[in-house]
Amino acid sequence: MSRLEAKKPSLCKSEPLTTERVRTTLSVLKRIVTSCYGPSGRLKQLHNGFGGYVCTTSQSSALLSHLLVTHPILKILTTSIQNHVSSFSDCGLFTAILCCNLIENVQRLGLTPTTVIRLNKHLLSLCISYLKSETCGCRIPVDFSSTQILLCLVRSILTSKPACMLTRKETEHVSALILRAFLLTIPENAEGHIILGKSLIVPLKGQRVIDSTVLPGILIEMSEVQLMRLLPIKKSTALKVALFCTTLSGDISDTGEGTVVVSYGVSLENAVLDQLLNLGRQLISDHVDLVLCQKVIHPSLKQFLNMHRIIAIDRIGVTLMEPLTKMTGTQPIGSLGSICPNSYGSVKDVCTAKFGSKHFFHLIPNEATICSLLLCNRNDTAWDELKLTCQTALHVLQLTLKEPWALLGGGCTETHLAAYIRHKTHNDPESILKDDECTQTELQLIAEAFCSALESVVGSLEHDGGDILTDMKYGHLWSVQADSPCVANWPDLLSQCGCGLYNSQEELNWSFLRSTRHPFVPQSCLPHEAVGSASNLILDCLTAKLSGLQVAIETANLILDLSYVIEDKN
Amino acid sequence: MLSSMAAAGSVKAALQVAEVLEAIVSCCVGPEGRQVLCTKPTGEVLLSRNGGRLLEALHLEHPIARMIVDCVSSHLKKTGDGAKTFIIFLCHLLRGLHAITDREKDPLMCENIQTQGRHWKNCSRWKFISQALLTFQTQILDGIMDQYLSRHFLSIFSSAKERTLCRSSLELLLEAYFCGRVGRNNHKFISQLMCDYFFKCMTCKSGIGVFELVDDHFVELNVGVTGLPVSDSRIIAGLVLQKDFSVYRPADGDMRMVIVTETIQPLFSTSGSEFILNSEAQFQTSQFWIMEKTKAIMKHLHSQNVKLLISSVKQPDLVIYYAGVNGISVVECLSSEEVSLIRRIIGLSPFVPPQAFSQCEIPNTALVKFCKPLILRSKRYVHLGLISTCAFIPHSIVLCGPVQGLIEQHEDALHGALKMLRQLFKDLDLNYMTQTNDQNGTSSLFIYKNSGESYQAPDPGNGSIQRPYQDTVVENKDALEKTQTYLKVHSNLVIPDVELETYIPYSTPTLTPTDTFQTVETLTCLSLERNRLTDYYEPLLKNNSTAYSTRGNRIEISYENLQVTNITRKGSMLPVSCKLPNMGTSQSYLSSSMPAGCVLPVGGNFEILLHYYLLNYAKKCHQSEETMVSMIIANALLGIPKVLYKSKTGKYSFPHTYIRAVHALQTNQPLVSSQTGLESVMGKYQLLTSVLQCLTKILTIDMVITVKRHPQKVHNQDSEDEL
Repeated sequence: MSRLEAKKPSLCKSEPLTTERVRTTLSVLKRIVTSCYGPSGRLKQLHNGFGGYVCTTSQSSALLSHLLVTHPILKILTTSIQNHVSSFSDCGLFTAILCCNLIENVQRLGLTPTTVIRLNKHLLSLCISYLKSETCGCRIPVDFSSTQILLCLVRSILTSKPACMLTRKETEHVSALILRAFLLTIPENAEGHIILGKSLIVPLKGQRVIDSTVLPGILIEMSEVQLMRLLPIKKSTALKVALFCTTLSGDISDTGEGTVVVSYGVSLENAVLDQLLNLGRQLISDHVDLVLCQKVIHPSLKQFLNMHRIIAIDRIGVTLMEPLTKMTGTQPIGSLGSICPNSYGSVKDVCTAKFGSKHFFHLIPNEATICSLLLCNRNDTAWDELKLTCQTALHVLQLTLKEPWALLGGGCTETHLAAYIRHKTHNDPESILKDDECTQTELQLIAEAFCSALESVVGSLEHDGGDILTDMKYGHLWSVQADSPCVANWPDLLSQCGCGLYNSQEELNWSFLRSTRHPFVPQSCLPHEAVGSASNLILDCLTAKLSGLQVAIETANLILDLSYVIEDKN
Repeated sequence: MLSSMAAAGSVKAALQVAEVLEAIVSCCVGPEGRQVLCTKPTGEVLLSRNGGRLLEALHLEHPIARMIVDCVSSHLKKTGDGAKTFIIFLCHLLRGLHAITDREKDPLMCENIQTQGRHWKNCSRWKFISQALLTFQTQILDGIMDQYLSRHFLSIFSSAKERTLCRSSLELLLEAYFCGRVGRNNHKFISQLMCDYFFKCMTCKSGIGVFELVDDHFVELNVGVTGLPVSDSRIIAGLVLQKDFSVYRPADGDMRMVIVTETIQPLFSTSGSEFILNSEAQFQTSQFWIMEKTKAIMKHLHSQNVKLLISSVKQPDLVIYYAGVNGISVVECLSSEEVSLIRRIIGLSPFVPPQAFSQCEIPNTALVKFCKPLILRSKRYVHLGLISTCAFIPHSIVLCGPVQGLIEQHEDALHGALKMLRQLFKDLDLNYMTQTNDQNGTSSLFIYKNSGESYQAPDPGNGSIQRPYQDTVVENKDALEKTQTYLKVHSNLVIPDVELETYIPYSTPTLTPTDTFQTVETLTCLSLERNRLTDYYEPLLKNNSTAYSTRGNRIEISYENLQVTNITRKGSMLPVSCKLPNMGTSQSYLSSSMPAGCVLPVGGNFEILLHYYLLNYAKKCHQSEETMVSMIIANALLGIPKVLYKSKTGKYSFPHTYIRAVHALQTNQPLVSSQTGLESVMGKYQLLTSVLQCLTKILTIDMVITVKRHPQKVHNQDSEDEL
């Protein structure tokens, strides 16, 4: 019996941002994300009080998916960051911190939401057009003919995730592996439209990170017993592969909506088995060497195939189907009857392999665009974190392939951008306020809030009580340790800027990031030789950062625009 | 077991409710409006500035509030705009009415109103006001629109005859619309998107039909992508289906497609039949036959250049396999809406696998420009380039946004804009009445006892008459509605709404007609009328009376006159006059129409204009009731621009704007608006009538009875009754 229940009336709250509860929850969220940011970020341990899985992380994707957020405003914030992360993988914490900072800074000003939103939008478009322009002083072209910049990009991602627990040597090793795995997915003879392959991450927990490796082709995990049963194939030419997507277990599939009456004594099982064996005979006459099945193969058929020196592997699972189809060039067979000859594919060779305690059946392709990245780490939580990081790095490399630019990392882009915005709003406010009803004072206020929000993002890179400075020529970030003696000789205390592009031996002027400065023009147009010489740069993905910037400001605008919250209590 | 509680339904109670709603709604009205965040019981969050959505999300308990919300949603369903204005206007009207009742208690009132007040007290004053409101809505409003307001209207079409749409005016119209519907940092972008979409989808000759198609299938015509900035939203030529290919084979050249609604592979048995298996060999041969048959069908499709198979059901592995072998791409499990959209665009009926196999051409195929996978944020979609056979050129909107709630808001707003445009492109018929030759000047009382078509059921036995009669009714549906309202106004009898509804439209069992021959006469009039629509039409029936008696209530209504008003054709001024010899007054019915595409500048122009002309009208009016209703409406109308100009100061503040406008009107100068943007007159007109109808509904209630009974107990009782 269905129960009809009267709907409870909803709860309606006005001006939600001004309430104390929202402010505290927002600041708690801000504290969580801020403390995670950067290479020296603090780790968070997330666990359920009733036991079970414990997650140690400093990544936004893991963090936010485990947090249980109830307040609708916070929900908007976290979902928008999660959506950003799921499409760009990187820059989640940056987006979250920037968004929280911006909301906090702007609220303090007490301007009307209309003005705030309008000006925020102008400033955002100013940032975007600068970062995309030729004169931008904080982005460098990515050269795919050498691995240097690509390695920098991957290494920056790995070092910014301290929960992976990697040593310096391990970081180098894993970044090289990730880059190799990525390069293996690029087809060799690409003309026009490139379709990237796929790198499959194979878990191998409890091993040393140094044991991680990349192999072309696909690894299918098997028990040792199963693997022993497979007979070695000795063949000089490529092996012929048949890949089935339909079940070969002898089930009688869909018989229609009516009834099927089976007379006494008629055994359908036998009939189907006959059919399967006929199929086996066809495979033998077609000289197939390897039969793979997504679902189950009937034991009799399996044995029959083995007798004729055909390797039969079943229960591949749906996830491996697409890479297998791609790698072998087969067409998944859905028929138990006649098989079209062009639906067979091929692999170069097969072999068995043992990594750690696990046994694998290794399919080696003719042309590799599919590879397997065997990833090792000491324990489960660190492995999970490393896997997420590898996926992020692979995704970032793909994004960089589409848009071959990288932004200077280590906070230098943010300080540079803030300097640019300050300069622009100070010297040329008319171009921003073209057709608007906003005043110059309002613009100055909002620009200051915007820039200080950007700067406090990089401020949160420092967790050990150090100070952050910026130079007055490039607008880059320099950090100084907590117990540095006095302000007298900066060049000796500071060695390199955040991204590693400049060193302190140049004649530069520094000032504290939190102090007020005169607006200055940050030097645009990077010198080409400077980029070439530096080998150890910290770099960020341009596409992800641009989108992160946009999402942060759009979300902040959205939240600032709220006048009511209606909560459905049903 | 049941406890009932009754509260006097009054303007005061309704006003309190409306004021609360107004407080919520007025924060998101107009260009300065802000967003409201709603949570769903599932935990999803939704951003909205759509008044209808907000009101529904509140889950109000108060009965009057619920009634208001119902009125708003039915208005929205039709027009797609104006929910917030609805509430504000209603609230101001109620305020006006409330003020009058307060004043009435004042002993220092002029005599006229006092007597009037006593009169109301005697015979249920609210009902009188509600009747006066209805009279206003049905007879006066149209006249003011036609005679005074229409001279200020602008047209969205650059040339009225060919109805060519002017892009810049459409942009202005949409911008003003989205100003009130989406966040202010996105409204320009979204309105540009809508404008582009509109011009990309329409061919030059496409008419209302396209609106209908896009309106019906709007959900299928857009794709939401979360995680990207709003500015990444775009329009894609062709149709994007939210599915992935089951098998994709790239193809080019002459590509054809088929739609199937059942599995292609023959099955052992169909529903209701029985398949008897006698031997294993039989099973094997039948399986073999199925396989061969499937293979042959797919081969045949291949030979006909079919490269794409669209299926509303899941196809077996076998079909997918043979499709792949034959180079046919397959999309499965499409919803029935998606299939019907595709069928409407290309005019294709589903392909039925032939029983007897032949090499002849398959009739139900259509050419496709392209079909390829489309990847949006690492999710794969099917992108189809259909060749349209109707006026709609298929395009899909990809809506991006950081959160799903925002995308939904934009989708909602785009859909609303479509509805608004659909209404705008319709002509509006205006029917009203003017009193000409009012010889009997003293009888200012407006006597109008009898109107209404003789929708009278003929003798049940007389089937031959009944049929043509009903045909006429269908054609004159609008007129019927009008009759219904006339009846409500002029019957001078307390008949609740529900009863009226059952009463009017030819519901034979409840009515016992006394005069049947009249109907026949009326019928001939109607058919006559249909033939010569533009001619003058004199009601033929004079002083005939028909008495209806409703059995259940013992209410008798007598009609002294029967007259037939008809809907006139667009653009033709057709005065239909009806002489009422008894009264000595002569009234003429004027029918005119407002052409499609009428717009006015935004910023309360419509309201100020109507306010001005209503005040003028009220001054000329003889009847105090009419004067008062006009005054109340006129003053309430100003409430809307007041809210819109709330944040403006100085020269742009409301009093300044108002004085400027009135001055311009008095000196016959053109009105100057401080804001750019246009709004649909049709939408405003419909809003006004909806609000007035809602108000009359509120006023006719005299008591609210709360029944405290659990809903599921009702269910229990029902099931017991059934047993």
